[in-house]
Amino acid sequence: MVKRPDIRLIAIVAIALVAVFALPMLTSERYLLRVFTFVGVNVIIITGMALLFGYAGQVSLGHAAFYGIGAYASAFAVLTLGWPWVAGVALALVLTAVGGLLLALPSLRLKGHYLAMATLGFGEIMKVVFVEARPVTGGPDGLSGIPYPTLGPLEFDTAGTAYWLVWGVAAVALLLAYNVVRSRAGRAMRALHGSELGATACGIDITGVKVRVFVISAALAGLAGALYAHVVGFVSPSTFSLHVSVLLVAMAVLGGTGSLAGPVIATVILTLIPYSDAVIPGLSRTALETIQEWQEDIYGLTIIAVMLFVPGGIGSLIRRIFPERGDAG
Amino acid sequence: MSRSIGARLARVFVSTCIVALTVPVFLVGCDGETGYGDGETVRIGAVLSLSGSLAGLGEPARRAIEVEVDRINADGGVNGRMVEVLYEDDASDEARSVAAASRLIDQEGVVAIIGGSGTGQSMAMRQEIEPGAVPQVALAGGSIVTDQFSPWVFQTPWPNRVVVPFTLENLQAAGIERLAIIAESGGYGKDGSDVTKDFVDEFGIEIVAEEQFNRGDTDMTPQLTKVRAEAPDAVLMWAAGAEAATILKNNAAIGGAAPLRFFGAPGNARLEFVEGAGDAAEGFMFAAGHILVPETYGVDTEAYEVATSFIDRYTERWGAGPDIFAGHAYDAIHIIVEAARRSPADFTPGDLRDEIEATSGLVSVGGTFTFSPTDHNGMTADDLTMYVIENGAWAPVEEVR
Amino acid sequence: MGAVELLQFALAGLKNGAIYALVALGFTLVYAATGAINFAQGEFYMLGGMLSVWAYAGLGLPLPLAGLVGVAMTALVGGVFELLAVRPRKDGDLLAIIIITVGGSMVLSSAARHLFGPLEKALPAFTSTGTVSIFGAVLEIQSLWILGLTTLAVVALWYLYNRTSLGRAMRACAVNRDAARLVGIDPRRIVTVSFMLAAALGALAGLAVTPLTQTAFDVGPSVGIKGFAAAILGGLGNPIAAVAGGIVLGMLESMSIAFISSTYKDAIALVVLLGVLFWRPQGIFGASRREKV
Repeated sequence: MVKRPDIRLIAIVAIALVAVFALPMLTSERYLLRVFTFVGVNVIIITGMALLFGYAGQVSLGHAAFYGIGAYASAFAVLTLGWPWVAGVALALVLTAVGGLLLALPSLRLKGHYLAMATLGFGEIMKVVFVEARPVTGGPDGLSGIPYPTLGPLEFDTAGTAYWLVWGVAAVALLLAYNVVRSRAGRAMRALHGSELGATACGIDITGVKVRVFVISAALAGLAGALYAHVVGFVSPSTFSLHVSVLLVAMAVLGGTGSLAGPVIATVILTLIPYSDAVIPGLSRTALETIQEWQEDIYGLTIIAVMLFVPGGIGSLIRRIFPERGDAG
Repeated sequence: MSRSIGARLARVFVSTCIVALTVPVFLVGCDGETGYGDGETVRIGAVLSLSGSLAGLGEPARRAIEVEVDRINADGGVNGRMVEVLYEDDASDEARSVAAASRLIDQEGVVAIIGGSGTGQSMAMRQEIEPGAVPQVALAGGSIVTDQFSPWVFQTPWPNRVVVPFTLENLQAAGIERLAIIAESGGYGKDGSDVTKDFVDEFGIEIVAEEQFNRGDTDMTPQLTKVRAEAPDAVLMWAAGAEAATILKNNAAIGGAAPLRFFGAPGNARLEFVEGAGDAAEGFMFAAGHILVPETYGVDTEAYEVATSFIDRYTERWGAGPDIFAGHAYDAIHIIVEAARRSPADFTPGDLRDEIEATSGLVSVGGTFTFSPTDHNGMTADDLTMYVIENGAWAPVEEVR
Repeated sequence: MGAVELLQFALAGLKNGAIYALVALGFTLVYAATGAINFAQGEFYMLGGMLSVWAYAGLGLPLPLAGLVGVAMTALVGGVFELLAVRPRKDGDLLAIIIITVGGSMVLSSAARHLFGPLEKALPAFTSTGTVSIFGAVLEIQSLWILGLTTLAVVALWYLYNRTSLGRAMRACAVNRDAARLVGIDPRRIVTVSFMLAAALGALAGLAVTPLTQTAFDVGPSVGIKGFAAAILGGLGNPIAAVAGGIVLGMLESMSIAFISSTYKDAIALVVLLGVLFWRPQGIFGASRREKV
């Protein structure tokens, strides 16, 4: 079946793109830009998680470790080795991709909870490495004074430019993921989530696809880490805990399967909850402190509520709003 | 089977729309006035860990600041201007502390920031503090906070470079030559054991065993069994959490009639620790500030007056006495307020920083603070006392044997 | 290393292993009923200790009664949590249930902080703070309680599974929910009961350990991970395997400290766990069975 491009949707995309990238021109509030920069960093990670979970049907409880490897690799390369930032990012990508490959090869024999445990174990082992490999990671004190990202003469040293950089990378990551989803491999992945047997019967190299997706998702987490380290200027092991891995899985599941937009929206919402005081205008100090006091509860209840009231995840909600849309995108 | 590319792209970017369409609405509410308060109140930010793993440090700090701000304002504030403290909970998360600091500086126009509660949070904030040109008084004890020097960052707890030599001197006096270390794997334990190893040679002490545990571990018997095999004269423990009590109880259990002798650090000055360890803590010694037993300031000193009146106010308001974390926060708010009182009427955060650095001989509960352009902690061994736990309470040690 | 020291390491491993085993049993029960991993299991461990302390110090109840109140209330919390948050998810989707328990664990630990504050709480030993000597090695009396309660829990579970109609219904549900429904068993009731039992087991562990370690609102996750690892190491779905997994994990940690390094004890235990998984993807004692996520 052939469909005409939906003018309404194209318009929304165009407005969204313009508005997201115009934010730093509309406001000089560093706080707001900071918060949305963190959202962008999480969007990069979740793009990989959405591929891994939503399309390949695999669950990883170790992606905070790849996030950390990326952050430390790039920070170490720039801070200690004096490399340019781009080289640091390259190192982060290489290390996380290789790490993802090494973990994926033996782990993909495992299924379900056993795979989750293997990735969780990897994450916990890396946490020990982050604390103990002190010449590289700075131990529990972490690495501070990490320089801002630079691209040749460009220095992303303000909250606005850092925001642009992160969201620019996020947009590229989403486009890449979108292409993966559209490719033959992408269709294979969707087949995989449904039935591995069926996919095999169709002549799809399941293991190959799984490994590739795992490597892509690990590398995207590493990329996000390389951005986080230089935008915040400080990294320490506590940022890359199991708690973060679990929340990433929660964002992917809340987003729903077979969707990129769903997980992205889930990420935006969940990342903003602790900062809800930043995006709700005119909040009094008392209200703000009350929200902070109850944020864990709000967070947990939001997760439960979405899982109960939006059973198919946010992706299914989008499908309901745009029913003419197929199962891609 | 072909689908519209435009529609597919739409799905990918629907999320971005949501952000985009809502942002302009938010902006209206967020672009508030910036500047240094309204000229009437002195606004100070406090980034504390009120939830998350460090909640036990942030809560008493907030209580102390609340009590003291009320009193400062009752006494006329800062040269007639009221003091207002804006609290931010970083949930023991570094990214949150960074965001909180940027908000306090940009949106609230604070003149100084107290916090964070943890070393990581305090260090992470620096990226906002330095370009924002606002002084920070950290409540975290990690050596790195002032070792990695920033003109904008001050620190109130006793750093290990002061605590360790004081403790080792007492160990030496007690005739201890073979020392074992047991430390938690986090920043507190690592910092403590590092600094200890730096100083032991000066005191003729040898480290014969070094063991580690993680926060949340339920049993430290294996580590202690290994330590016992080396027959040390004493063990120096770097554990600030609930595990400290577990270690002492494990030690009492496997030691039987001859348990190992244990020393600790200011992080052990917690009633929960003494209560949790029970009999196993008898004879345990640790260095901490005079506030635990105000008589150690000397009953006729100004410090004794300062500390006892703080303890009274705090106890009256909250029903229990202040711990050392409350004390560190007391120090921080008073350092800032005293500096503000010395500053010109329309002072900027930069003026305030200069006055904080000029703090000299300020008698507070953590000790007597004297900062300099190279020392932003200002504590010395004179501000410490050796305590021993006897009959379920801490008491100053006359002479360590 | 002398024989006495080796025994001391083994006893420590056994004691920690028994704690992990109790928590792992809770994972096993919920897994059997739903196929999902309950991420709130560690919070039940935390609540068992916290609520017992509250009943003991707050209400002034005698210790045995306070412990009973703590465990019973936690079981109630487990049941209410299932009714309010898990049961409404009618399709029983595994990942949805797992993520719901993630949300639940955040709410439970935060609620404990709101109610009891951020600081750790102590509980006296059940009977005595003394120790017993076993061939020169030493074990706290409280550790005997932990070992005893773990044994008791295993025996009780065995009895429940094999000798009661409820237990048979639980086993039937674990094998095939639809078939169970056909013979008149309500699987929803079984899930609720499983959550309550899992909560009670976690609470029992938390209660038994608190006299040794104290407890606080944030002790759940670290013990939860250990219990999950133990359940996986043994092989999911089998209570005896879960207990074995717990003991093996405790021993691994203790022996890592003895022979290698306390710094890397967790990492070593996890490396071994990963090795076991790569060698036997269904855990040491796990039967090969259908699995889906």
